Amino acid sequence: MIGVELAKQCRRARGWVTLGVMAAVPALLTAVIGLTRPAIPERVGDWGSVVTSTSGLTMPLIALSAMQLFLLPLAVAVFAGEAVAGEAAWGSLRYVLARPRSRSRVLAAKAGVAAAFSAATVAVAGGSAVLTGVAAFGWTPLTVLDLQHTTAFTYATATFAPGDALGRVALGAGMVAAGLVSTFAFALLLSTLTASPFAAVAGGVGLGLVSRALDNVAGLHALGPWLPLTDGGSTLWTGLFFSPVQLDGLAQQALVQTAYAAVFLAAAWLRFTRADVLA
Amino acid sequence: MIRIELAKQARPRTFVALGALAGLTVALAVALELTGAGRAEPVGDIPLLLVPAASPFVLPLIALSSTMKFFLPLAVSVFAGEAVAGEARWGSLRYALGRGVSRSRFLAAKAAVAALLSLAAVLLVPLIALGAGLAMAGWQALPAVDGGASAAVRQAPAVFAPAAALGRLAVGTGYVGAGMTSVFAFAFFLSTVTARPLVAVAGGVGLTILSRVLNYDYLPGVAVLSPYLPNNDVDLWLHLFQEPARTAGMGSFLVLQAIYTGVFLALAWWWFTRRDVLS
Repeated sequence: MIGVELAKQCRRARGWVTLGVMAAVPALLTAVIGLTRPAIPERVGDWGSVVTSTSGLTMPLIALSAMQLFLLPLAVAVFAGEAVAGEAAWGSLRYVLARPRSRSRVLAAKAGVAAAFSAATVAVAGGSAVLTGVAAFGWTPLTVLDLQHTTAFTYATATFAPGDALGRVALGAGMVAAGLVSTFAFALLLSTLTASPFAAVAGGVGLGLVSRALDNVAGLHALGPWLPLTDGGSTLWTGLFFSPVQLDGLAQQALVQTAYAAVFLAAAWLRFTRADVLA
Repeated sequence: MIRIELAKQARPRTFVALGALAGLTVALAVALELTGAGRAEPVGDIPLLLVPAASPFVLPLIALSSTMKFFLPLAVSVFAGEAVAGEARWGSLRYALGRGVSRSRFLAAKAAVAALLSLAAVLLVPLIALGAGLAMAGWQALPAVDGGASAAVRQAPAVFAPAAALGRLAVGTGYVGAGMTSVFAFAFFLSTVTARPLVAVAGGVGLTILSRVLNYDYLPGVAVLSPYLPNNDVDLWLHLFQEPARTAGMGSFLVLQAIYTGVFLALAWWWFTRRDVLS
């Protein structure tokens, strides 16, 4: 079942185009930074800063934190939002359901394939940034400036050996991907509710937008830790690149993502197993 | 003509959009009152440090600055994006055009009604917040601490008499309203092109997202584009509450808005007067 859905997704151009764009953006960033401003420090997250020309491993940090704002949620919403609504838009959903498989298994296969492509998106973005970054700036130790503890008199820095830095990048990419779980689940829920893939994708992206906008309302700070996508939650992974590692709020973030994902996925399952499928 | 279109807009969607903005403002006021009206809130990028309980003008400042980047553009996009595409989706556009008026007048009436509702959205937020502020603090002068110019040893406060603060708030509201015109024009243009209101609404919001994503804060190397993007400088009105008031950049922002608005409204008119209306 998953194999069938995977083959279907692999035959379509859309998935490959999305992945291609996600690979191209970090390469483009590397080129732009390498040509125009390799020695200027770039901000990463809330408290970090890296000088690009010192190490190729700065690029995944820059690329992931730049793409995390919009491009990665968009890609995840595209995969999850298309999953069921895409079939409905083509009018092929009824034939998919005519196969002798339970709806739960159809939904699970669809969600599994969409999740695999979503994870691949983050991996491709990070991998492309590592490859182009190392090609452009070299396989050298990564130095991160800790602006939180930097004063007029001292620079607080943390330096990681290339192998160590690569491991942290992989872990960081994993945290970035985990932060997109709520977006994925919401887009999948919308995908079961509507026959218009565009609505599902827009809604998935919209969840993040509304959440960030509410997070930035000056009086509503108390809401912050409970929103699915916030500046604080999404820059959490940059704490991996300080010394000592700063991961306050990780448990809260994991709890919130799990809770949103569980609610949205359960709602998607409830809806899809009971829906009167007309398309 | 305008009166007919206005009467048509007296439907749940309009009231939900305006009601949601009002609700958000009220929620903000209540949250501030409950959690710490006597504490200074950092507002905007400067930041201004404002104490909500000190003056009735603090709540409007907070409300306007936290809705100007997403919730107000969203409301404006809803009104502008629905205008023509809403009729097209219901299939009633051809009948609306069957009336004995020119397409130009029809489009002008649609635009005028959508603009009126958008204006109502922009005015609603500061007015409700001002009402809540008056209930909370009474008619008091506005003390604003310039967080950007302040050091730990020296604060840079400015005190505005109530009338002066009201005047500046009015100018700021006008500035934010002017900043919505590019969003309005773009969503309205899309509304004449597509028969799906959601696409037009998402496009209008997308324009503000695009200008924020292509902002050098997040993506290095695109700083050259920043001055030409329509939504980046919508927060400059907060500088009116510094002493002395800084108006740098406001003029060019207004010119940019006028250009975007002129181009997209002209495109909308050009397209709509020539379009083959099928729905």
